[in-house]
Amino acid sequence: MSMIEFKDVQKYYGDFHALHDVNLKIDAGETVVLIGPSGSGKSTLIRTINGLEEIEEGQLLVDGFDLHDPKTDINKIRKNVGMVFQHFNLYNNKTVLENIMLAPRLVLHRDEAENKRIAMELLEQVGLADKANSMPAALSGGQKQRVAIARSLAMKPKALLFDEPTSALDPEMIGDVLDVMRDIARDSDMTLLVVTHEMSFAKAVADRVIFMADGRILEDSSTEAFFENPTEPRAKKFLSQVEHH
Amino acid sequence: MSEFFNAFTSANMGYLLGGLGITVGVSAISVVLSLLFGSIVGIIQFEKIPFFSSFVGTLNNIVRNLPLLLIIFFTYFALPQLGIHLPIFWATVAAMTFFESAMLAEIVRGGLEAVDRGQFEGARANGLSNMQTMWHIVLPQAYKKMIPPIISQLISLVKDTSLASGIVLAEMTYRGQIVYAQNTNYIIPVLVVLTVVYFLLNYGLSLIAKWFDKKLA
Repeated sequence: MSMIEFKDVQKYYGDFHALHDVNLKIDAGETVVLIGPSGSGKSTLIRTINGLEEIEEGQLLVDGFDLHDPKTDINKIRKNVGMVFQHFNLYNNKTVLENIMLAPRLVLHRDEAENKRIAMELLEQVGLADKANSMPAALSGGQKQRVAIARSLAMKPKALLFDEPTSALDPEMIGDVLDVMRDIARDSDMTLLVVTHEMSFAKAVADRVIFMADGRILEDSSTEAFFENPTEPRAKKFLSQVEHH
Repeated sequence: MSEFFNAFTSANMGYLLGGLGITVGVSAISVVLSLLFGSIVGIIQFEKIPFFSSFVGTLNNIVRNLPLLLIIFFTYFALPQLGIHLPIFWATVAAMTFFESAMLAEIVRGGLEAVDRGQFEGARANGLSNMQTMWHIVLPQAYKKMIPPIISQLISLVKDTSLASGIVLAEMTYRGQIVYAQNTNYIIPVLVVLTVVYFLLNYGLSLIAKWFDKKLA
């Protein structure tokens, strides 16, 4: 069953055609990496999936809901589709533990003891149990991102979207975050869609790679096929640029 | 010089400082009401509800560009002609609240806009509704930033209560005028007393502002 499905989706910013005839199907449980040069529409595409950006034309089905239908309650989708941002977006006015417990408490009405137990388990999983009572401002970028991942996981989502999760991090912080993501890809049956420039991560965990440029999906192939034999000239050029970087 | 000290009779000072109660009363009630209404108006403007927000924004702009004294005259002299009779104390409170709400709304709107967009997106993507996002995440962060400008606005409010002497509300400045009307030699001593009392009142408020600023920094 497909978790996310784009059908002839168009998205404009004024005159700028940000998403061009996007057709894409991601099955439940798949791990898909989305790559492409900056300005290619990757972030726009991933942000339409939880309604942070609206689409102008076409159909976008997420977990059975049609995002282009004004009757769709976007909060129902967001309950089941988490997002991890480039700039973390932790709640600055809440402790690490409260960051994780807030949405399950308010949205899922999870029992308080159970909520705390799950939150602590997740902090354990991302290696930050000792930071439970810290404020986000006291954490490094890599720690913030691991808390942000734990916050998304606490909702027990069906799908998790990563929008350049390591792009704002110092190089020595990237590994810890990618390790956490790799464990999630291996151990969970969540649908994962990751926008990233980390090619070794893509090779290691992705089932499929999608290459975008100028708001279009130019290539959509299995991970091996993409890295060994990309068909699109622009994908070849992009790969040679990032791999020699 | 002895005339100077003659002004400080207990009758004169008691009468003058009795006005302090009215000044503080008008200020305190207006502060609470204008914080409430100012927040509501500021949030409406921030939320950009089609038509409604820009309508409220335009009204707000008009009010902020009127002299407060004109609004005080309106609530005391004009409202009765429209069938609304307010005692002088409440006419002043109504005018102050009307004017200060508009000023505070602008501070609230600015404070909300200063909160990083990422805070909204993080909360909405996490499943929180717009209301929950505002209440738990955005407003607490916005108010923290707004405390210093809000307190400086409240200091203007306290000072502006003296404008109500224009409609003969027996607040402190008006009572000062009554006292020195007895004897022009009392003008300087009365103004000295008013200076000291207004200063202490408002300096106290600004100390509170500094304390908050330090505590929340």
